[in-house]
Amino acid sequence: MAGRIVIEFPSEYRFLNIVDLVCGEIVENLCAGQKASNEIAISVIEAVTNAIDHGNRSCPDENVRIVFTCKDDRFCVEIEDCGKGFDYECFLKNIPDPSDIKHLRGRGIFIMKNMMDSLDFEMVPGRGMKVKLEKLLKPKESDDGRKD
Amino acid sequence: MRIEPRDRDGVVILDLRGKLMGGPDAEVFKNTINKLLEKGDKRVVVNLHNIDWINSTGVGILISAYTTMRRSGGDLKLLHVSDKIRSILYVTKLNLIFKCFDNEDEAVTSFTDG
Repeated sequence: MAGRIVIEFPSEYRFLNIVDLVCGEIVENLCAGQKASNEIAISVIEAVTNAIDHGNRSCPDENVRIVFTCKDDRFCVEIEDCGKGFDYECFLKNIPDPSDIKHLRGRGIFIMKNMMDSLDFEMVPGRGMKVKLEKLLKPKESDDGRKD
Repeated sequence: MRIEPRDRDGVVILDLRGKLMGGPDAEVFKNTINKLLEKGDKRVVVNLHNIDWINSTGVGILISAYTTMRRSGGDLKLLHVSDKIRSILYVTKLNLIFKCFDNEDEAVTSFTDG
């Protein structure tokens, strides 16, 4: 299946539910396997949460835009906010230890980095920060590890 | 998110419903934990069976509750952790922090097993 789906919504937590539903439907059609499907869904929610909280500072007048692109061998998601961005290169070099329970936050990027095959950040002039997630689609494996 | 507390053999089971994703959920959960501690309830099982999904901010809420309980001499454990939540706990190695149970009886008796 190849195609592109775009959704855009105000920066409010209540829209995360719709994001999860849309992402779930798309991923189900990818036949990526349960593990990969979960990892995509979790990562998308993390990226969108960051876009709402940090990018758009939870301002409902500012939108989050998501582009889901299905290609034959990969699934790509771009999440765009209206914010000024952040020093992602510095952050990626200094990601806090996610198992350190002194930190209540800061695990989102670690989760995305470890669950997706690639994670990139890009400042889009005149718009905001874009997070690009990509998952390579492998042949579907059955739950016991055998390839179907 | 809704929180419905019930008691089982001196252990408080918090049945959560909805999504655990930060925002106002954090304050609600924190207040619930503080009220339990005020009453002297220090053994808590958080039942995630009816949690649709959780994000890392929601995990932070659980961590905060866990550390609050532990600092007060109590403990907090998780029940019915879904595959999605479990994968978040594993990738962040928080599975080494949180004790997880698939069976409520075992979760409750774990507080007396030592």
